[in-house]
Amino acid sequence: MIRRRLSLLLTPLVLALLLLGTAPPANAASLDEILKAGEIRVGVNPTLPPRAQYDDQNAITGFEPELAAALAKKLGVKLTLVPVGSPDRVPFVAANRIDIVMGAMSRTSDRAKVIDFTVPVHSENYGIITRDDTGITKMADLDRDGVTLVQVRGTVMIPVLQKLAPKAHMLLLDNYEDRDRAIAQGRAMASVDGIDTANFRLNKQFGATKWKLIATPELGVTWSCLGIAKGNTTLRDYLNVALYELHTDGTVEALWEKWFGRPMDTKVPVTPWF
Amino acid sequence: MAYTLQWGQVLPYFWYLLGGALVALELSFLGFIGGFAIGLCNASALHFLPRGAGRIARAYVVFFLNTPLLVQIFFIFFGLPEAGILIGPFTAVLIGIALNEGAYLTETLRGGFASVRREELDAAETLGMSRFQTLRYVVLPQVCRAVYPALSNQYILVTMTTSIASIFGIEELTGRAYNVNAETFRSFEVFSLAAVDYVGLTIVASALLALAGRALFRLRMRVI
Repeated sequence: MIRRRLSLLLTPLVLALLLLGTAPPANAASLDEILKAGEIRVGVNPTLPPRAQYDDQNAITGFEPELAAALAKKLGVKLTLVPVGSPDRVPFVAANRIDIVMGAMSRTSDRAKVIDFTVPVHSENYGIITRDDTGITKMADLDRDGVTLVQVRGTVMIPVLQKLAPKAHMLLLDNYEDRDRAIAQGRAMASVDGIDTANFRLNKQFGATKWKLIATPELGVTWSCLGIAKGNTTLRDYLNVALYELHTDGTVEALWEKWFGRPMDTKVPVTPWF
Repeated sequence: MAYTLQWGQVLPYFWYLLGGALVALELSFLGFIGGFAIGLCNASALHFLPRGAGRIARAYVVFFLNTPLLVQIFFIFFGLPEAGILIGPFTAVLIGIALNEGAYLTETLRGGFASVRREELDAAETLGMSRFQTLRYVVLPQVCRAVYPALSNQYILVTMTTSIASIFGIEELTGRAYNVNAETFRSFEVFSLAAVDYVGLTIVASALLALAGRALFRLRMRVI
């Protein structure tokens, strides 16, 4: 009796896994299919202003939507923006719910096992985000008992900090607003993450807190690319050429300065070879 | 462009995920106990106290049954610090779950109290039982028997609910699955493994609850 019920419960699970194993969950749309459909679906993260955010009319605006619009214009297709979060952005591409994922997609070899990357769109510069009253001035100050760091789940600095600041306690929250609030409320002392957007965001949302941003060039610069489905070479090759054009005619840098309010810290070295 | 399952990429995280299942178990167990205590107090107030005193319990139940648990925990975790009350993530989520469960269990237990027939109470009085004896020998055995299956189901639901804790920085099963997903990007494999862990947690709990129900109240409950 028990065995029969157990099999009733487990059969759908096993079937689902078998289905996943044999049939692909979805096929990514090739360049031809995108041109034929007349639409490109781009995932952006609207919780990362000024990369992307909702405006007064509830439309998504920002650096990435405008860059996506420039790409769609080159393709001659309609742009559809899809809001994605940090943890689910890659599954969105893998399941063919979007063609391109943006949202500060840092290029890493681990991620490249699952999705493909274009040439870099922009650099990402890291630093410590903390309050004025914590006394933190450099990376070494973080590796102490009693220091609580707060990071966003699924982001690229977590394994780095586990190595560099093993003594610090790490709190992982769901999004950047919660992260910032945790520092402002004193739940955590600092966070190490991109500082490109920090100034824009923190003073707007938590103006009462005295923020301190400490650049940490020793952590290196990462490159943010467009992410596309593994093996979708037709789309990737097209996007590489389109990005080369947008870099050389100054569109990328102009959009960056328009939205971030200052030049890109590390310029993307543009080369005609890729 | 077919997706190929790569279990080898997530198997090294098996024990890490199982550790998260233990945290989920801890949260659900403590949250349920807390909720049960609150529910028992409330249900007693509603059933035994005069109407006016029961009103506070009534308001509590109405409030917590009609707002989402996530919003309640957000209030405790991010709202209270604005008033100077900083509660740690685990405690904040535990309080949220206990308060929410308390409201559900109030209704369940109140139904149990109502299931005791007036005639039996009269009979107990006729036999000269004290109030305590009536509670001990007449009311509680019947209430326990009546509400036990519903309480067991509620416990299973709490186990699922604990996944909310990952949003507040607690490294339980769902939170750890998200972490592994972020490192490996093997979403299908990681969340399948997490799902199997949850199924394990609930089946073991169901089996233990069914055994206890059979031993204590001679209830025949389905495990699956």
